[in-house]
Amino acid sequence: MTVGLGHYLTVSVVLFCLGLLGVIARRNVVIVYMALELMLNAANLALVAFSRFNRNLEGQVMVFFIITVAAAEVAVGLALIVALYRKRQTAHVEDLASMRL
Amino acid sequence: MSDLTAIGLELAVVVTALSVLVLDLWTPPEQKRALGYVAAIAVGVIFVASFAVLIPEPRMAFGGMFRLDELSLYFKRFFLLTALVVLLMSTEIADRIEAGFPEYCALQLFALTGMMLAASAYHFAMVFVALELIAVTFYILTSYQRRRLASLEAGVKYLVLGAVASSFLVYGIALVFGAGGTLDFARLANSSNTGSHRVLELGLLLVFLGLTFKLASVPFQFWAPDVYQGAPTPTVAFLALGSKAAGVALLIRVFYEAAPAIGRGWHGLFAGVSAATMLYGVLCAIPQRNLKRLLGYSSIANGGFVFLGLSTFSAPGLSAVLYFLAAYLFTLGAAFFVLCLVAPTAETADIPALAGLHRRSPLLAAALALSMVSLAGIPPLAGFFGKFLLIKAALERGPSWPAMYALAGLALLAVVISIYYYFGVIRAMYWPGERERGIVRDPEPIVLSGLTRAVLWFCIIGMLWLGIAPDKVLNLAEHAVRALAL
Repeated sequence: MTVGLGHYLTVSVVLFCLGLLGVIARRNVVIVYMALELMLNAANLALVAFSRFNRNLEGQVMVFFIITVAAAEVAVGLALIVALYRKRQTAHVEDLASMRL
Repeated sequence: MSDLTAIGLELAVVVTALSVLVLDLWTPPEQKRALGYVAAIAVGVIFVASFAVLIPEPRMAFGGMFRLDELSLYFKRFFLLTALVVLLMSTEIADRIEAGFPEYCALQLFALTGMMLAASAYHFAMVFVALELIAVTFYILTSYQRRRLASLEAGVKYLVLGAVASSFLVYGIALVFGAGGTLDFARLANSSNTGSHRVLELGLLLVFLGLTFKLASVPFQFWAPDVYQGAPTPTVAFLALGSKAAGVALLIRVFYEAAPAIGRGWHGLFAGVSAATMLYGVLCAIPQRNLKRLLGYSSIANGGFVFLGLSTFSAPGLSAVLYFLAAYLFTLGAAFFVLCLVAPTAETADIPALAGLHRRSPLLAAALALSMVSLAGIPPLAGFFGKFLLIKAALERGPSWPAMYALAGLALLAVVISIYYYFGVIRAMYWPGERERGIVRDPEPIVLSGLTRAVLWFCIIGMLWLGIAPDKVLNLAEHAVRALAL
């Protein structure tokens, strides 16, 4: 059996859906953040696969941009989560409900 | 070299931001506030300089990734003027921002750069990088008052939902690349008639979802009220004006230029999002007691109005959107400036706490009242004319697509409902009930500096000028729309 574009895309879609499920279902902000990275990497996988099978390097270059920007986003995001943890001693989504109507 | 002149305005903003950061090293702590004025003056100069930029025909730079045309120039001017008002607002509350005021200004300037680049993006890599530059700086700006729990909480909520939206966007870009074979808008527009349509449409749908986050419209509208309530007021103003307009600029670029055929076929989707967003915004705004939160829901509703104009896919609809944004700039500029001065914390932004504001400072009360009237869409203020143009453009599309009549009717209904809660704010200021009168303990007058007065008058005159003599800005908007082939 040869591994084709369809296989890569299936894995990518599964990763994306798992990531989305994690964001919706998990209650810890750090885990939610990891699930978000999974979604970004699903997109990276799809881009690289399309790039390889379409014989077009543009997608690979795009992946470099995404990886770089995602690193910056993680740096800011984790700093924020740590600041919140220091303030509240919790990293649970349910505790983020001080603002209501 | 010629490519660098094309991004001259952006370069000037980046240089300003870096200079603010460097000057910070030599500025004694008690004079840090002056750096805010330095940044504001620089942005003002760049805004004036932008009128010296003449583009006889659209100019492409950096291998077709960057497009300088009248449309992008209109948005760039809008962003510069917004940043000017926001920087003056931040300087006003400089002492309340403990964690480094010059960095706060520099971050706003970096966000401004992202918005200006987004207005010119003509390649999906550019779209992504510009949007992330805006998003990542806003994660910091929303949580900047990190000693306040509300600000941190707003930051984390914005972070998680923003990251979900950008992963939708990135996955959409991946699918568009797979189906279209390119990320370049010009080549995509040529090739979108061939190839696998389903995958391309799915990709564009995900891109659309990612962009609705920026406009705070359905289905990505949940963040707006919490973030508006918790974040520092200048950040909220920048979020409501700049970040939203950047989303509008990109929606226009993607669905009017990169994939015009698919975009036109999706006018039903645009109209549906418009209807849902308007209704959600106005209905949820009714019971609100906190003015910042109310403005959050109002911003959602106004996102719905923007979609009403976008769904027409016609030149009048689009120029109405551009005009509406300009009107929105002066209106919200005044409202948030007043909020900065009267409500130092989220708790004091409660509407009953505004009771008797006209006795403490007649100018503040008048500015807030006028901006509420303008938001409600009452003539002769700017907001009225913006909504009038949008509904008119929708009705003009009616003969070829009758559903637009229903949508225009819905928009009218939304305007009528919104009058109720906007006038609630005015009533609380001028005619407070017995219960509200007890809340305000210190009816001492608020002293305004000369600059504050000048900015407030600037916003008030802008609101009146756009409402009474709209032709000048409308001409600019129509001129900008002509850059698109409609």
